[in-house]
Amino acid sequence: MRGRAVRLPPLNALIGGVLIGTLLVVAGVGALWTPYDPLRLSFRSKLAAPSAAFWLGTDEFGRDVLSRLMAGAAASVWIAVLTVTLAVVVGTVVGLFSGYMRGWVDRVVMAFNDALLAFPGILLALGLLAVVGANKYGIILALGLAYTPSVARIVRGTVLSLREREFIAASRVMGNSEAFTMVRHILPNCVAPLTVLATSMFGYVLLAESALSFLGLGVPPPAPTWGNMLAGSRPYIGQAMWLGIFPGLCISLTLLGINLLGDAVRDKLDPRMRGTR
Amino acid sequence: MLRFALTRIVMAVPTLLIVAVSVFVLIRLIPGDPASLMLGDLATPASLADLRTRLGLDQSLPVQFAIWFGNLLRGDFGVSINSQEPILPLIVSRFWISAQIVLVAVLLASLAAVPAGVVAAWKQDASLDIGLVALATLLLSIPTFWLGLLLLLFFGLKLGWLPVVGYVSIGDDPWRGVLYLVMPVTTLFLHEIGVLLRMARASTLEVLRLDYITHARAKGLSETAVLWRHAFRNAFGPTWTLIGLVLGNLLGGIAVVETVFTIPGLGRLLVDSIFARDYPVIQGCLLFVALTYVLVNLVIDLCYPIFDPRVTAQ
Amino acid sequence: MRNRLTIASVLASGALAAWSAAVAAPLRIQVPADIRSLDPGVNRDNNTDGVVLHMVEGLVAYGEDATPKPLLAERVDVSPDGLSYTFRLRRGVKFHNGADLTSADVLWSWNRYMDPRTDWRCLSDFDGRGSVKVTSVTAPDAASVVFSLEKPTALFLTALSRTDCGMTGILHRDSVRADGSFDRPVGTGPFKFGAWKRGEFVRLDRFADYAALPGKRDGYTGAKRPLVDEVRFLVVPDPATARTGVMSGAIDIMPDLDSSAMTELKDDKRADLSVIPNMGLVGLIMQTRDPVLGNVTLRRAVAAAIDKPEIVAAATEGFGKPNGSVVPTLSSYHGKVQDEDIAYDPAAARALVAASGYRGETIVMLATKRYPSSFNTAVVSQQMLRAVGLKVEIEVLEWATQLDRYAKGTYQMQAFPYSGRMDPSLSYETIAGPKDRQPRKLWDDPGVQALVDRSMVVSERAERQAIFDALHRRFLADVPMVMLFNGIASGAAGAEVRGYASSPTALPRLWEVSRAPAPPPADPKGPTCSVSP
Repeated sequence: MRGRAVRLPPLNALIGGVLIGTLLVVAGVGALWTPYDPLRLSFRSKLAAPSAAFWLGTDEFGRDVLSRLMAGAAASVWIAVLTVTLAVVVGTVVGLFSGYMRGWVDRVVMAFNDALLAFPGILLALGLLAVVGANKYGIILALGLAYTPSVARIVRGTVLSLREREFIAASRVMGNSEAFTMVRHILPNCVAPLTVLATSMFGYVLLAESALSFLGLGVPPPAPTWGNMLAGSRPYIGQAMWLGIFPGLCISLTLLGINLLGDAVRDKLDPRMRGTR
Repeated sequence: MLRFALTRIVMAVPTLLIVAVSVFVLIRLIPGDPASLMLGDLATPASLADLRTRLGLDQSLPVQFAIWFGNLLRGDFGVSINSQEPILPLIVSRFWISAQIVLVAVLLASLAAVPAGVVAAWKQDASLDIGLVALATLLLSIPTFWLGLLLLLFFGLKLGWLPVVGYVSIGDDPWRGVLYLVMPVTTLFLHEIGVLLRMARASTLEVLRLDYITHARAKGLSETAVLWRHAFRNAFGPTWTLIGLVLGNLLGGIAVVETVFTIPGLGRLLVDSIFARDYPVIQGCLLFVALTYVLVNLVIDLCYPIFDPRVTAQ
Repeated sequence: MRNRLTIASVLASGALAAWSAAVAAPLRIQVPADIRSLDPGVNRDNNTDGVVLHMVEGLVAYGEDATPKPLLAERVDVSPDGLSYTFRLRRGVKFHNGADLTSADVLWSWNRYMDPRTDWRCLSDFDGRGSVKVTSVTAPDAASVVFSLEKPTALFLTALSRTDCGMTGILHRDSVRADGSFDRPVGTGPFKFGAWKRGEFVRLDRFADYAALPGKRDGYTGAKRPLVDEVRFLVVPDPATARTGVMSGAIDIMPDLDSSAMTELKDDKRADLSVIPNMGLVGLIMQTRDPVLGNVTLRRAVAAAIDKPEIVAAATEGFGKPNGSVVPTLSSYHGKVQDEDIAYDPAAARALVAASGYRGETIVMLATKRYPSSFNTAVVSQQMLRAVGLKVEIEVLEWATQLDRYAKGTYQMQAFPYSGRMDPSLSYETIAGPKDRQPRKLWDDPGVQALVDRSMVVSERAERQAIFDALHRRFLADVPMVMLFNGIASGAAGAEVRGYASSPTALPRLWEVSRAPAPPPADPKGPTCSVSP
């Protein structure tokens, strides 16, 4: 299975591409048009089951679930992308630096990193949301900061194990500067574990936003996000299962898509894969 | 080895100091204070002033910190504003409850997810792989507060097999105690499978590409032997690190599961204290979580060379 | 009737064993959080009051109509000048340790409360810093106690009855340890303290020698017989879990339902709902010092834009009724004038918005998910305000943060849930006052303040009513707040529970509640739902 003769795009890239493509289209369309106004309340049609008029039913305020899902796609994707970017960029810089320098620099950086890691996300979120305001950017900042130390730790771990390898020593022997070695030889080797972590994080962010909503701290309504729709559906789990199923399914499929696509991208980027395929 | 462990323990001291100072400052930056919460919207300026004096909240922040930290150095974590209980015994008893759930769930999840991840990597891009990845993704994307309630409705209400509310400690009544833990452990277990399977798969994929695997194959070893003797052992390293992260995060993040299943654990204590602004308990909990976290990761790092011979503990 | 006869004959014919087994099982009631302490009125919250008030009782207590009535006192005599209150104690009342209640116990309890070291939360309400100053308390004989006040006040008995003050509960001195610290409540209530497993449950046991008043249950007084041997307050923080517990029979009573639970349980055979309005107030409060909302025309526009029946229906699942006045509908002072309100008129609201000079500034409304009815109020009213051209955003805060913003006055608009005030004077006192000294006040107007102060002193009913009428009209003119509805107390009891009813204080009451054996399966027990107007 490692050396097929004829190569179509691999299955994971195909499925992932289709899922993410659909997501982007839905988010794009949802930003411009939805079947109903996603914010319009209608008490006559509260908690209506899926029907011809409301394909995916209505919520406890009589708002159309399909319209809210479409409008929520853009918000959810935006939050997730920004959060993951923030965490990966900051975390990678910290992890590379710390892992490569070793010694007391590493210890100091990791002391701070571990302190941050030991902080429960909810407390961080509470603090930052109080300072920045309970809005999208507060959540992005809080979650981004909460995930940074995990990235730093994984990157540092990779660096530590790579430092013992021959090709790093070779680079040094050849007289390359530390910075060059770091960027040219170590960074590419972090791409694989980082892709895995980043794609998982993408999912965690969608879910963490939901958990924050569950605790009463998420993106404020009426602006729908998948996370706050999922959290809001919980009291109605016995009466209107569809309220949670659909946003949950959207999160699942997005995650699946991004994971598969992430795997495919990693296969392409991983330096050791060049040549084997 | 011993020197490494000692250095790490010494290095943990600044980490804990940073946690102590930053938690103290952060929770006081958050609006709301315990006195006004206790009195609610019925507060009068006089009753508020009385209470703030009694709780020592009328003193300046540095003085409050000095008092708290001084007591801490003498091993006194203080008493809860909320319940007047001494904090250290409170935390230890709650921690034990959370720890048994987390440890069992993560252990079971590792046992299921790591082999599954290795198999998925071995069959990369085949339908078995995609199926396992899809399953992991699905499990990962069901929030625990939703999954927990679903289990509760099905096993507790519909089938009536498991108790719906309450908690019995295993020490008091082992059989009933276990019954109460089945659903919370299952909820966490299903969630963590999703996390760990993907990590195990990724690490195995890494290893499968390395030269020595090719060598092993070239030597004519069977695929199974290659996989388990060489790939699995090496792939376990990064997964092992992740298990450490997961354990640390879970102790802080188990609050949701404990809320759904009415378990008086550490997570709920922390969340309740945050909402009630019970400052000394929040501070105590966080220091304790940080300490646990440092210890867990120390153990993980000490074990790392067992799985990855290239790294030596020093 | 036939069914009841059947049950009776089954019982008589020897199935008593099964019946008594059902009775012996504890009555399990959900509480959303652990209690804070057992010390009445000291370290407490609503939840704690709900548990502690099963063990301790005061001289007077709220009746169903929120007026103070005798409980441990047989009667209360007020001197003509209103400065002296004489409480005659009931005879035959026993403490949980078997001792008889005497005036010495009242004195001891009062002196303990008035000692600043006790940290009684209502100390400042009686030592002259609040509305009342008690100058002396004496016991002329074993069965009477005389309280002397500095000034006459209409609110003395109301203050003594306050549930958050622990009903000024009379305790036996065995309640404290030798060093003076509080141990456990040895009171006169229908249940005595059993056990407290922190984070899990509080167990109370039946007090066999409880001296019950005759008649019917009446708020926190009237008939209060303990009918079960043991009650257990179970800590279940997640309302969805608690609801599942009620349906599965693991919980007998859930005292406070949110709207989603009401929709689900009102059609469920496994639970009976008891829904009554309580004394709480839910409204949109507005910061009159805000650059935008400081404009009274704009505040009037807000009031005219709100379709109250629609909001109330959405926020209370159709169980509540709109009320435009801070005088609760339950109060005996809520009359015709209090029914006057600003009518819902979107066209007029739009005109008022235009007239106010509003230029599309964003107005931020604070809300919390802690109280679902006020949260739903925020979501619905936001849409109504947007419909008349106001740009309103909701900011969802956790409760402690919202309360802090309320106390500091740093907000534009909030959907705010006030807990119940038992007297209209207290309702007005809550919102009216000088913002400079007390930023939490909504309505800063010396004329209003004078009226409120006066209403606290006069005790003549007609005169008080006239003051409240005048206040309501000024309230509608100034609109410091759009009052929407009174909270509802809605509890659910499992089908086996007999006699549970929600109380206007919204705290649970487990006296006069029993557990019947499950009805025979043939008994077609339809959904029941009692709604008192």
